[in-house]
Amino acid sequence: MKRYYVMGLFSNFEEAFSTISEIRQHAIPGVSVDDVTLKSPIEHPEIEEILGDRGSPVPKFSLFGAIFGAIFGFLFLASAQANFLTQPQGGKAIITLPSNIVLSYEMLILFGVLSTVIGFMVNARLMTKRHPLYSEKVSLDQIGVMLELDEKNVDSLKELFKKHKVLEIREEVSL
Amino acid sequence: MQTKDINENIAWAKINEDVLRSMENPRMGYWVALAACVAMILCAVLAEIYQYQVGMGPSDLNWPHMWDLYIATFVFWIGMSHSGTLLSAILHIIQADWRKPIYRFAEAMTLFSLMTAGLFPIIHLGRVWNMYWVLPYVSDRGIWPNFRSPLVWDAFAITTYMTSSALFLFIGMIPDLAICRDNARGWRQKLYTVLSMGWQGDDRQWRHFRRLYLMMACFLIPLAVSVHSIVSADFAMSIMPGWHVTSFPPYFVAGALYSGCAAIITLFILLRYFFRFDEYMTIPIMEKTCKLTFAIAMVWTYLNLVEFAATWYGHDLVAKELLMQKFIGPYAPFFWAMLFLGSVLPFTFAFEKLRRHLPTMFVVSLFLNLGMWLERWMIVTPTLSLSHMPFAWDVMWPSMIQWAIVFGSFGWFGMLFLIFVKVFPAVSMYEVKEMVFHRRHYHNDELESKSHRREGDRQPADADPSPSREGA
Amino acid sequence: MSLKNILENWSHYRRAHEDGGHHEYEHMWGMAIDLNKCTGCNACSVACYAENNLPTVGKDRMRKGQGLHWLRMERYWDEPDLGGDEKEYQERGGSFLPMMCQQCNAATCEPVCPVAATYHTPDGLNAQVYNRCIGSRYCSNNCPYRLRYFNFYSYYEESWPEPLNMQLNPDLSVRDKGVMEKCTFCIQRIRTGKDAAQREGREVKDGDVVTACAQTCPTEAIVFGDLLDKDAQVTKLWKAQEVELGKTKQDKSNGELRGYRVLEGLNTDPCVMYMDRVREA
Repeated sequence: MKRYYVMGLFSNFEEAFSTISEIRQHAIPGVSVDDVTLKSPIEHPEIEEILGDRGSPVPKFSLFGAIFGAIFGFLFLASAQANFLTQPQGGKAIITLPSNIVLSYEMLILFGVLSTVIGFMVNARLMTKRHPLYSEKVSLDQIGVMLELDEKNVDSLKELFKKHKVLEIREEVSL
Repeated sequence: MQTKDINENIAWAKINEDVLRSMENPRMGYWVALAACVAMILCAVLAEIYQYQVGMGPSDLNWPHMWDLYIATFVFWIGMSHSGTLLSAILHIIQADWRKPIYRFAEAMTLFSLMTAGLFPIIHLGRVWNMYWVLPYVSDRGIWPNFRSPLVWDAFAITTYMTSSALFLFIGMIPDLAICRDNARGWRQKLYTVLSMGWQGDDRQWRHFRRLYLMMACFLIPLAVSVHSIVSADFAMSIMPGWHVTSFPPYFVAGALYSGCAAIITLFILLRYFFRFDEYMTIPIMEKTCKLTFAIAMVWTYLNLVEFAATWYGHDLVAKELLMQKFIGPYAPFFWAMLFLGSVLPFTFAFEKLRRHLPTMFVVSLFLNLGMWLERWMIVTPTLSLSHMPFAWDVMWPSMIQWAIVFGSFGWFGMLFLIFVKVFPAVSMYEVKEMVFHRRHYHNDELESKSHRREGDRQPADADPSPSREGA
Repeated sequence: MSLKNILENWSHYRRAHEDGGHHEYEHMWGMAIDLNKCTGCNACSVACYAENNLPTVGKDRMRKGQGLHWLRMERYWDEPDLGGDEKEYQERGGSFLPMMCQQCNAATCEPVCPVAATYHTPDGLNAQVYNRCIGSRYCSNNCPYRLRYFNFYSYYEESWPEPLNMQLNPDLSVRDKGVMEKCTFCIQRIRTGKDAAQREGREVKDGDVVTACAQTCPTEAIVFGDLLDKDAQVTKLWKAQEVELGKTKQDKSNGELRGYRVLEGLNTDPCVMYMDRVREA
């Protein structure tokens, strides 16, 4: 059976949200809210109430990056100092904790930031091709609700979109 | 009187249009400004070439004044970089949404002032060509940099800060770059297609984006504080009177935020005027920035007083003598100017009429920056001129070589900034949209105008009682 | 492996100066300078210029403060309002303080150098590695004695016109622009002394090494030697004045004791002891 991508573009955000709410309440049998992709020009923190909490592993990347940075930083500095004995300077010890704490702290932040950004790029699937249904209006002021669904449900979905004053519907056969 | 941070009925298409318009077709004035900046840079480049060839001598640095304007200006630029972090990270975390129209150029300012600041430690080296020895790379000879030195901490901190703030600026700009991509033609389209990295506004992308932004903000706040603490360690870790001061890290951080806020006001007014961003960089936002600056100015003043009191009652004779000489010695005019510009002048911000008057604010913000530059100079130089050994007391005035390089650094900063505003959106479009969206839902007009109204003011006329439904 | 190295030697690597430090010192070169004997004749300074290839920078640059004088003769006058009684003949109250690098054991210049161009040798010296120096000048800023000098120009180009370049000391380098330099306690002479002793198969003994300033001083005010050598003259002088390394304050109750180290309250632990000038009351 053919699978279709269908996207409806809405100008009124609340209508778009209530469309998703109805899908969530199984307005169309066989279509789950998990198939919904919302394309929006802005961020909607409140959308998770409707779409469901889909979670984000980005903070985990931050945590592990930071821990790695701090440990690596300290060991790197300490081993560099321990192998460079001609620098016992100003009466200080070879491995000086105050300076290493300061520098490990910087490494913590550097690796934390890098790992967070990598985590974001991987999880948000950046650096991939845009979806064929992507509309430039989404970057302006319209909101798009996109679903991947079976052929038999396409018409009922369009009905639902129209009920909520959709402006434009685009569709594409999924490969 | 305008009381709203932003007109929430502004059409989203207009936001896109206004910001994108600011990026295209530079007018004559733009090219003149760019040429002026390049000319300033040329001054500095010529001076630096001469200094490179001959040695540090022509800068009139001497024994005991081994550091002077270079290091003072370095600290000045590092300080200026803190404003972007303040506006984007701290105000993001405390959810002050008025930051949204103005944080982008502040972040760009962070990056560019760091790029300017980073030049100074290099310029001031006696043997510039060996500057990479400060970096910790594996060498066959088993030589490492000295990790105890605050200068190495500087290298670490500035690298980290520059990387993080560049990423923060870039990542925060991705949705806007996608807008640019959708509207551009030619080379710009190619550029923005690469830079926007396939952003398409998915809920997945936004969801991770939100987490990312929060995490980055959480990293950047302690980073910014640590960076300027480390810069203060250049002085505080030393043994010299006037530098060996415990309160230096908070003092430097306060001074950094202070000069950064003042610079934001300057650029705010310039951008607002030249790009007609009146509807985004509104007077109430300006007023809030001024209030913030005033608060930080008072913190800075307090920390100044703490330093004086601690030195006075600490009764270290050398430090006390130095403090006295700051007030009555050869550098006293500059010290008094710094105190006046840094602590007295910000009281203009206490008057509502003045802090809503753009020309006044423009002039005041320039003088505040001058004051903060003097502060850095007055930290570096008096200590060198008067220290423990009376035999090494000396007064030195910097030569034209130093002034030329300091002058040129402003041109370098200006050039980077001018290129930025034509290539990247200087106002965050998507976040202004968010701000507008949320204001439509949660904004309480009456409360807002009440908090600004005083007796005698005219009642605000209800201009548009029916808010637009677009995007809502 | 590095990690093993760190874990095994942790306590050793954590020993700071006050716990005895990392070094097992072979020597501890030090000085004793008797200000009673010093006449302020500046011969030591001249000898230093000749021995260490110090460039003469000329009047203008000297006036600007861009000169190099590893050993400088500081002159202080008794000002009438500071307790001096001679208004007309102030120089009668003049006092002299020859200052050279104090070779501090807890030197403030060392930890601030970003590239480890200055470090502590097992001889107790504060070495400056010209090749490694990048000229950040932080060390000079952090020296409370202000005893570090910077090559602001390529002085060698003009300082020794032919045939004066023939008089340069071949035992040490001529410095180019952009590096910091300072008194080394004539490290080339120490090297020669140690080499000679090694060839003869014996320990270095007192008198093997004499710095240029000590050798030149007409009144023998400067005494140089190894503080670890119990029989050395300098050790005896330190002991007689009850000045010790590691102490930050001198007990001044005994009027006979004149020894002090400059700014020792800063805990830099310098290796040069001065003996106060005694004057008629």
